[in-house]
Amino acid sequence: MTETTVASPGSPGGSPDKAPPPGGGHNGLGLARFRDLALVPAILVLIVVGALIEPAFLSADNLTNVLQQQTELSLLVLAEAIILIAGKFDLSLESTVGLAPALGVALVIPAASNGLGTDLPVALGVPICLLIGMLVGAFNALLILRFKLSAFIVTLGMLIVLRGLQIGFTGGQNLFALPESFLYLGNARWLGLPASVWICAVAYAAGIVTLGYFRHGRAVYAIGGNADAARAAGVRTDRVMWTVFVVAGLLAALAGLLMTGRLGSVAAAQGDGMIFTVFAAAVIGGISLDGGKGTLFGALCGVLVLGLINNILTLAGVSAQWIQAIYGGIILIALMLARLTTGKAQD
Amino acid sequence: MRRGSTATACVALFTACLTLTACGSSGSSGTTAPSEGGSAAAGGGKVGIDFPRADTDFWNSYNKYVPQMATELGIDLMPPTNSQNDVAKLVSNVQALTSQGAKAIVMAPQDTGAIATTLDQLDSKKIPVVTVDTRPDKGKTFMVVRADNRAYGEKACKFLGDQLKGKGKVVEFQGSLSSVNGRDRSEAFAECMKANYPGITVFAEPTEWEGTKASAALQTRLTQHPDINGIYMQAGGAFLAPTLQLLKSKNLIVPPTDPKHIFIVSNDGIPQELKAIREGQIDATVSQPADTYAKWALFYAKAALEGKTFAPGATDHDSTIVDVGGGRLEDQLPAPLVTKDNVDDPNLWGNQVK
Repeated sequence: MTETTVASPGSPGGSPDKAPPPGGGHNGLGLARFRDLALVPAILVLIVVGALIEPAFLSADNLTNVLQQQTELSLLVLAEAIILIAGKFDLSLESTVGLAPALGVALVIPAASNGLGTDLPVALGVPICLLIGMLVGAFNALLILRFKLSAFIVTLGMLIVLRGLQIGFTGGQNLFALPESFLYLGNARWLGLPASVWICAVAYAAGIVTLGYFRHGRAVYAIGGNADAARAAGVRTDRVMWTVFVVAGLLAALAGLLMTGRLGSVAAAQGDGMIFTVFAAAVIGGISLDGGKGTLFGALCGVLVLGLINNILTLAGVSAQWIQAIYGGIILIALMLARLTTGKAQD
Repeated sequence: MRRGSTATACVALFTACLTLTACGSSGSSGTTAPSEGGSAAAGGGKVGIDFPRADTDFWNSYNKYVPQMATELGIDLMPPTNSQNDVAKLVSNVQALTSQGAKAIVMAPQDTGAIATTLDQLDSKKIPVVTVDTRPDKGKTFMVVRADNRAYGEKACKFLGDQLKGKGKVVEFQGSLSSVNGRDRSEAFAECMKANYPGITVFAEPTEWEGTKASAALQTRLTQHPDINGIYMQAGGAFLAPTLQLLKSKNLIVPPTDPKHIFIVSNDGIPQELKAIREGQIDATVSQPADTYAKWALFYAKAALEGKTFAPGATDHDSTIVDVGGGRLEDQLPAPLVTKDNVDDPNLWGNQVK
């Protein structure tokens, strides 16, 4: 009985869960589908523009590059999107991107290479890295869910603390001497595509299916739409939210791992400032900051739009002085295009 | 109600992030223990020093040299502050230092415009200021201690131009154009290339000193132009590892004799760059002098307290004092080009770091 209200609507659009206004339910379902595809026209336009500017744009190599360069961002956006849909915030993800691999590396490399001197077995490095991500997520959840602190302020504090920790125990050094296991995922190619692209594809597919069709996934929308109603309807809101925060931390650590492999070092400022872009991609992709609305596919489109714009600007050789203005301008145009093609007001 | 509170949250997010971009980048550490070396302060008066940041290899080395050099020079050094690459923090740190009795200030303002009013205030209190690494756009300074950043760009350009024999395609990772050092290096490199090696095409990539941006730009550019044969990176600390990792994955790290070799020139001179030169992964770097930065900044601070004055011209330490306009003096320290031939020189600061 209780499950039906939460789990039955098969559409991944999300709005049916948000207590549809009387009479508007049917219409909302149709528009929800459109919202999913809102950015597709913008992506098509970008591809055409890119091809006109530079023939090399359409080469398989270049398109693979675009995907690979966006993998870390897309994992963070996936994490942030789930949290936003559940009606919370997590700003600390960008610091986890730096801290998790830095700590994982520092615990296994010798002190001579700026390690901590613990010299744990190298095989433990990657599991430690992922574990740290989950611990950070769990700690956020503890403060937000158990102690009822504001998600915004808690994760803002964590953003600063985690970055400070990383700089503290690495002494502000970049870590260069990385074990092979840290480099593997960021560099390997599976079936002709970078491993990181496959990882992202699997993560998104799992996310889309879970949030669209499984009970616990639908519960995330219900909580974001109205947490009290969800609890009244029998959803174990706290348990779902704990899972969401821990999964988000894990995804952020994984993103950090991929970035470490791709760049061949853990920079002291790794991930710094990324949360801006993460929010931009999520919101462009139709995730509502109010919670309860938006889809992961939309968020993925947001990531692709940003990646394509970056790639085209580089190919076109836009001068350093103007690149930011043009970048921002194109994002605005893409949003307007999405507004025009769906005819739906954005929020 | 709900909508209202979320909107407030969004505004708060935005403002919070604005202030955070700077402070998020660097935590509070690296400020070494207070130096006790200078109890016999020669010129009288304490010297306050602010470190610009503690999250890059170069500045960490500088931060380590400062207390050491203060002891050698017999300076009464106050516990250093760290402004974490944030001009607002720098201003408040300087105020704290002066209220604690600093008679001279050493700083390295990374934002060279916004520090002007602070310099005016210090001037009105008759507190001499020595700036390291950067030259403030406006305001009075006793001395600017700085490597000639235009020379970095020119040295890199000449090295690449000669190695490529005036022909080819070069990718340049520009630093942030809002910093004077990034601007100087970019301008000098561009001018020198245009004047001396018109056969070389330069792709200037804006990176804001970020390794991810450089890596993405290089990857894209190599797909577009597979025949790229030179790279100039304006900061080895930020760009070295990402560049090498990308070239490795494309099997492009080959000896200079191979026609596929990409000639790489870097700036900074951190230990990892020297190692990469020894291993033949990159070809040259310009060593930015962390040790002499610390030494001469403190030297001039002490000299200011003792009432000494300086005039433009050659100095006794292989550098030149230049009048950069309005009577402002700048001691332009030499920054040697390091190649395979002199990479083992023990005088390079990169060889002295453990």
